[in-house]
Amino acid sequence: MALMQIAEPGVAADPHQRRLAIGIDLGTTHSLVATVLSAVPTVMRDHEGKYLLPSVVRYLGGGEVSVGYPAVAAAGQDPHNTIASVKRFMGRGHSDVQTLAGHLPYDLVSGEGMVRLRTIAGEKSPVEVSAEILRVLKERAVETLGGEPEGAVITVPAYFDEAQRQATKDAARLAGLNVLRLLAEPTAAAVAYGLDKGSEGVFAIYDLGGGTFDISILRLQAGVFEVLATAGDSALGGDDMDHALAEWLLREGGGDSADPLWRRQILQQARSAKEALSSADETMVALPPSPGCAALTVKLTRRQLESLILPVIQRTLPACRRALRDAALKLDEIDGVVLVGGATRVPAVRALVEGFFHQMPLTDMDPDQVVALGAAIQADALVGNQREDLLLMDVLPLSLGLETMGGLVEKIIPRNTPIPVARAQEFTTFKDGQTAMSIHVLQGERDLVQDCRSLARFSLRGIPSMVAGAARIRVTFQVDADGLLAVSAEEASTGVRAEVVVKPSYGLNDEEIANMLQDSFRHGAEDVVKRRLSEAKVDGARVREALATALAADADLLEPTERVAVDKANAALAVALSGNDADAITAAAEAVEAAAGPLVQRRMDNALRRAIAGRSIDDLGD
Amino acid sequence: MVDSCFQCGAELVAPPALCASCGAVQPFRADLSLFTVAGLSEIYDLDVQTLRTQVFALQKGLHPDRFAHAEPTARRYSLEWSTRLNEALATLRDPLKRADYLLRCQGVDALGEQVKVADPELLMTQMIYRERLENIMAARDLPGMEALRQEVDKAVTKVVQRLKELLAILPCTELEAAGSAVRELQFLDKLVGEIDRSEESLQNV
Repeated sequence: MALMQIAEPGVAADPHQRRLAIGIDLGTTHSLVATVLSAVPTVMRDHEGKYLLPSVVRYLGGGEVSVGYPAVAAAGQDPHNTIASVKRFMGRGHSDVQTLAGHLPYDLVSGEGMVRLRTIAGEKSPVEVSAEILRVLKERAVETLGGEPEGAVITVPAYFDEAQRQATKDAARLAGLNVLRLLAEPTAAAVAYGLDKGSEGVFAIYDLGGGTFDISILRLQAGVFEVLATAGDSALGGDDMDHALAEWLLREGGGDSADPLWRRQILQQARSAKEALSSADETMVALPPSPGCAALTVKLTRRQLESLILPVIQRTLPACRRALRDAALKLDEIDGVVLVGGATRVPAVRALVEGFFHQMPLTDMDPDQVVALGAAIQADALVGNQREDLLLMDVLPLSLGLETMGGLVEKIIPRNTPIPVARAQEFTTFKDGQTAMSIHVLQGERDLVQDCRSLARFSLRGIPSMVAGAARIRVTFQVDADGLLAVSAEEASTGVRAEVVVKPSYGLNDEEIANMLQDSFRHGAEDVVKRRLSEAKVDGARVREALATALAADADLLEPTERVAVDKANAALAVALSGNDADAITAAAEAVEAAAGPLVQRRMDNALRRAIAGRSIDDLGD
Repeated sequence: MVDSCFQCGAELVAPPALCASCGAVQPFRADLSLFTVAGLSEIYDLDVQTLRTQVFALQKGLHPDRFAHAEPTARRYSLEWSTRLNEALATLRDPLKRADYLLRCQGVDALGEQVKVADPELLMTQMIYRERLENIMAARDLPGMEALRQEVDKAVTKVVQRLKELLAILPCTELEAAGSAVRELQFLDKLVGEIDRSEESLQNV
């Protein structure tokens, strides 16, 4: 038998045979690929020296496909066959993207499963479209590296759900890539900086893209990356700055601002001017002629631009504060601030970030490249080229909870909890003799069921008949390392059990997730009022329920005058319960409890007497 | 009692999760305390940094990502250990949860619904603090908020110090006093959360 060659894990068998691995940032507007060459993470360029590949795919007749800049150029003339922003469709059903589709020129095919787009080349799924982008990046890598990459790490937004992650993996497989791991974008950025600096500490990742803003706080310690908090705004980005500037230019130009062509031209001018002012102090903006208005050139200074976009960029700060609070960190505990996304090139953004975090953001890496570079570093480690083994602890993107009385949500596992995780909570019955309990599993940050997303419902049956509040039902949530949730409910005395397994966020897109987070933030105060009212109503109903039970059994224990007082208070509570005043309900409930005091006392005395007389506890309820 | 590897029989070093000699992940032990799972001795006055280092070092060997290609039993053991390690970190890093956990290990549920807060002084302090917070909000008084926060932080430090003394020797013999300190810390904890939320809402308007 021939001797087997044994290599120590984590060490390449032969230093000259370095394993090829790539990192891919598959973005909404553009994508790129990077690798680690001689220990230096590097982006790979096309023949023209460009490293960004616009995430745009155009289907032509005859099986031909064009990807990137040529497809962008054709978008105007061939909108139905030119697919941009396909990332928004990944892992989504037809009904999920209805609202999104209204703004896009695509011909969507309705049906089961993931949405499909009708093109000249036939129906295409978002997975197939993404695979075209990945295929181009893979070819680029093969040419640059001189061989097939052994594996790839692809980045996804932090709160991409299971379906979206699966779709991304499928696209990579379709493009002939071996996916080593999917990596959250902010984590990738932190990896790029953290490992580059060889430093440990807490990093804030400020990611301002074209249309979304994300802030994440991560800790790197002993090779373990821990996500401490994430927050963001899915409807805030560099595009909003362009629009703010365009509005101003429209007013300066004085033309017909309803003319769509003119508006588009102005918007383009605004974008160019913004980019020019990232390095220059002033620029001249040429406004094209419009009906009833001659061409015009206006001077725009950086200071003017900054005052126009300040309201936009200040909207990133509440999310920053929220992330810090969720991470339970003070500003001086942040060791580094990493900028990601092209919009962070704007000097005013950098100044704002510096002012907020009291430190210069780290800018020695290109904000467009940093995510791909981080992915490349991890890919390199995973194929065994580096000794440092990283462990990236994933977290729950949204809180998980249960519906309780009054349409309220009781959070069982808060968002940002590291997974795998298991949490249990005890619940009890609401009514005497209740033998079944309905378990409704929810996802989201809001206090009311109607504002959260329903994941699953199941019932626990066979609870022994007991007085309200006596049963002990333990509900356990277990989330595994892949984000799969299992919920079980068990009654303590009998051991009756029911359970369900759910995919936490199937069918929910990242924008919806971000919106849900934002809603919870915006509606915090409103929720408190609603919660108080809801709780008061539950309490009030419970008091009425208990009184009815007591009266049915022992009405004779009350004197006639006492009975009148009880009935009067009870009627007042019923009136209060039909209204929406939490304080009034609470006061009315207290009045009933006070009026019923003698009844409760006498029932208790009787029960005690019976117990002392040696009767069994079972009789007490009758 | 010495634990030995279920696969090769080698002696296991605490926590008995991974065999140092054959590398096998061991069957999960639900009976072990959170301290034991994290490889620490039972103590209230612990260094959170040490705890974190210890838990992450163990996670690096036990996390399910390390067993992606292993057989189902090993994957299940890894999931159970890793889940428990996360629970240990979440519980033990927090002075309130750590104290509550230690008391629960002694059969005392200091924060249970059955326990009525009978300390009128604590109730009074609560009311005064809340009233102050309401006034600060009404006046949009950010410096006042900062002063309140510092005061509450000091109160937290004092209660934690008291707990360190009460729980210096385990098992704790002064369960009453420790229970009431835990309740006081919970009240302060909630107050800090409210101060955070209030401050945030003042800053964001």
